[in-house]
Amino acid sequence: MAMDPSEVEFLAEKEHVNIIPNFSQDTIFLISGDIGPFSAGLPVSVPLWLAVNLKQRQKCRVVPPDWMNLEVLQEKKQAEMDSRFFTEMPSPFYIEITQLLLQCATDDIPRADEIRTLIKDIWDLRIAKLRSSIDVFIKSEESHAKLNFLTLMEINTVREFLTKGLNHMHQLRSNLTGSGATQSSQFL
Amino acid sequence: MGEELNVSDILQGGNGVNEEDDDDDDEEAMTAPEVLQKLEEAWMNEKFSPELLPVKSNLVECMLAQINAMETNIENAKKADLRISIHRMEIDRIRFVVSSYLRHRLAKIEKFTSHVLQEEEKRRDTDAPLLSDAELEFAKGYEANLKSHLASTALRHMPTNAATFNDKEMAVLPDLNSYVFLRVNETTENVLVEEATVDVGEEIMDFEKGDQHIMMYKPISSLVESGAVSLI
Repeated sequence: MAMDPSEVEFLAEKEHVNIIPNFSQDTIFLISGDIGPFSAGLPVSVPLWLAVNLKQRQKCRVVPPDWMNLEVLQEKKQAEMDSRFFTEMPSPFYIEITQLLLQCATDDIPRADEIRTLIKDIWDLRIAKLRSSIDVFIKSEESHAKLNFLTLMEINTVREFLTKGLNHMHQLRSNLTGSGATQSSQFL
Repeated sequence: MGEELNVSDILQGGNGVNEEDDDDDDEEAMTAPEVLQKLEEAWMNEKFSPELLPVKSNLVECMLAQINAMETNIENAKKADLRISIHRMEIDRIRFVVSSYLRHRLAKIEKFTSHVLQEEEKRRDTDAPLLSDAELEFAKGYEANLKSHLASTALRHMPTNAATFNDKEMAVLPDLNSYVFLRVNETTENVLVEEATVDVGEEIMDFEKGDQHIMMYKPISSLVESGAVSLI
């Protein structure tokens, strides 16, 4: 089953970020959990979807997440280059959060352009790594692989191709061993 | 919740609402955020699992009840209140999850109709029915329509020896050997990841909480049902 990148973004929008509201408001009792109380000028944690909306309505400033600064990201990029494996990202939704915040709150993020480039570099490094590991995985003819620290958006870029490819390989292999009669809907 | 509540009273107790479902004794009381979380997991599992999973009617009903209560409260609130638009947005998000979940199920019911009905027959009286009542009705209607369509367009023109439709033999089955991505929620030891075949022996490994894997669905299908792993 395919997953649209916008659905991954939808999941990312549940992550919390800090905002500094310019209004005051008692606690709001959302179904997904209480947020607030809001006092003008004081940081408060809200889900990303709300932060984006309030920012668009000019009701808040966004406080960039701790990891969204050049130093941390430089280090992260270096670590990613030095490691053969995937390193743990500061947020499982780093690419979506960066994308959304840089789109709607550029003015709240210091050196936004450089951050954008760094995140893109890290993404590119990881996707290149992902491609070469898939190559190794397929050639090894293993039946499973561990994918720790891969983020959902990264998984999603190879989901269709990889699962379909593996399904076909499995089918071909089981035809070889003569146990392929059980898959009736494989190619439907 | 009373009728004259204004927004500041909206769901004052809303997040502590117990899941009021008398028929489910094994279901512990959950808060609304927990129910939503569970529903979102069920949504992802349903999206990625090759087979139809047992329906989570209680989660769906609980969320719909929450949405309805919230909508009633919004209607009674002052129009200018900032909170109204925020509550509306949240309702839209939840409604998206609920409808996407139900749509994925309907798509599978249409694809595997006979198989789903046969499975449902086997477990109708157990604790975890595969289909909700509405889905069961839909599946039966769909099957009847499909059969009469096939009969009137094709089968009646066939020679008598080929003019019957055997749904046991013709049923489209989900491919349980499909590869899926999963995340481990509870550390589980000794998971059989590959059944023994002619040329390879069985393969067993331990799942640690937080691990992510890609592998075939079949060996871990029971872990999806128990919640020990989530499909991603």
